[in-house]
Amino acid sequence: MRRRPGIQGLQRTVQARDQYKELGKNVAETKLEQMRAQMASFKEHLEEFALKHREDIRKDPVFRAQFHTMCANIGVDPLASNKGVWAQVLGFGDFYYELGVQIVEACLASRSLNGGLMDMQSLMRYVATRRGSKADPVTEDDVLRAIDKLQVLGGGFGVVRVGDRRLVRSVPGELNTDKNQALLLAQGRGHISKRQLTEAYHWEEPRVVETLWSLLKEGIAMADDQGPDGQRLYWFPCLESSGSVQVDVPA
Amino acid sequence: MTDFAFPFFFNYPPYFTLQPVKETRQRQIDLWSDLILRYCRHNKEYTLSSDPADDSPLFYNKRIERRLNREARIIFLSELCQRGNAQWLDKSQQQCLILWKKLGEWADVLYSFIRQFGLQDSVMTLDELSSGDDVKGTELEGVPNALLLEVIRLLEAQGKAQMFSGDGDVGVKFS
Repeated sequence: MRRRPGIQGLQRTVQARDQYKELGKNVAETKLEQMRAQMASFKEHLEEFALKHREDIRKDPVFRAQFHTMCANIGVDPLASNKGVWAQVLGFGDFYYELGVQIVEACLASRSLNGGLMDMQSLMRYVATRRGSKADPVTEDDVLRAIDKLQVLGGGFGVVRVGDRRLVRSVPGELNTDKNQALLLAQGRGHISKRQLTEAYHWEEPRVVETLWSLLKEGIAMADDQGPDGQRLYWFPCLESSGSVQVDVPA
Repeated sequence: MTDFAFPFFFNYPPYFTLQPVKETRQRQIDLWSDLILRYCRHNKEYTLSSDPADDSPLFYNKRIERRLNREARIIFLSELCQRGNAQWLDKSQQQCLILWKKLGEWADVLYSFIRQFGLQDSVMTLDELSSGDDVKGTELEGVPNALLLEVIRLLEAQGKAQMFSGDGDVGVKFS
């Protein structure tokens, strides 16, 4: 026969529940403790690693990139703050801070010449010259990281892709698809004409005109009326990495 | 004399076409007027023509086959006039005097030459002032009459010179 629940039974149930709760809490605490210990030892190891390879990280751009990838995989951002252990151990903050300043400088110096779009190779050359031959080498990866950090300042810093070329943008505003397409078409020669743009993408006339005019207006393109067949050519200073449009590096 | 080093933009075709967008054009005007002044100073050139048929290596880049048209030349030269670094020689803006030394500086050069050689109170012709024996090797050597006249007019206004002409020749007396 089935017994009805009595006082004792109820008390036993409550007791058991409390015990389970207690046990669960203990387990959770132990786990948390373990996790904390693991994290601490992990951080310690990572710091040890960073300290041990400090010179390599600073001097060897490839190793530096690998270190960044490793940090990103485990969710650590060594550039997040200039104050943390990372910055102190590696002197990273200063490295990227300095690089950031040099990038801003290059972009500002060339802005009136290229409408705020600078070819990555030109930028790298400027930065290399500016830093001098004694400074640690800088790779495109470093420049990209520094630009990434510059984005928090607003001011529209970013990287635009045109085909397989990277352009660094230092003015706010988006390069819409049409303008990007126009730049893409101009890549080889450095310039395009209205006709070339029309024929390449089969756009209607107003679209072509609007795209080219807005590139001119933003200072990204320059007009040249002395082309071989009399058609106006649109030149893009930001596509000139060969050095015909360059910025003088302050001594 | 060493070869003049042209700046980067001299080899970039669109800089030879007046830019339709205001900001870009302003930048272009600044770059060109600086170049014109530097070029003339380097090559000791005193006048430039706005005539597009005039193929000065400054306004015509043979390598990229681009040249400045008359309108562009006039705009760039007029910018220099505004800065006091040039002066049109005629109302139709054909010939322009390039003052890589401003008129006041030229006046100082001329006047200190006169004092140095004790030529006050003697009457000099323009030719003597630009190609006489005394000016050889000085900054005045080779200065064209057009410039000399402007400089003397300035000195006249300061009461330091007096100009008079006779027989189609101009004589100057300094004081």
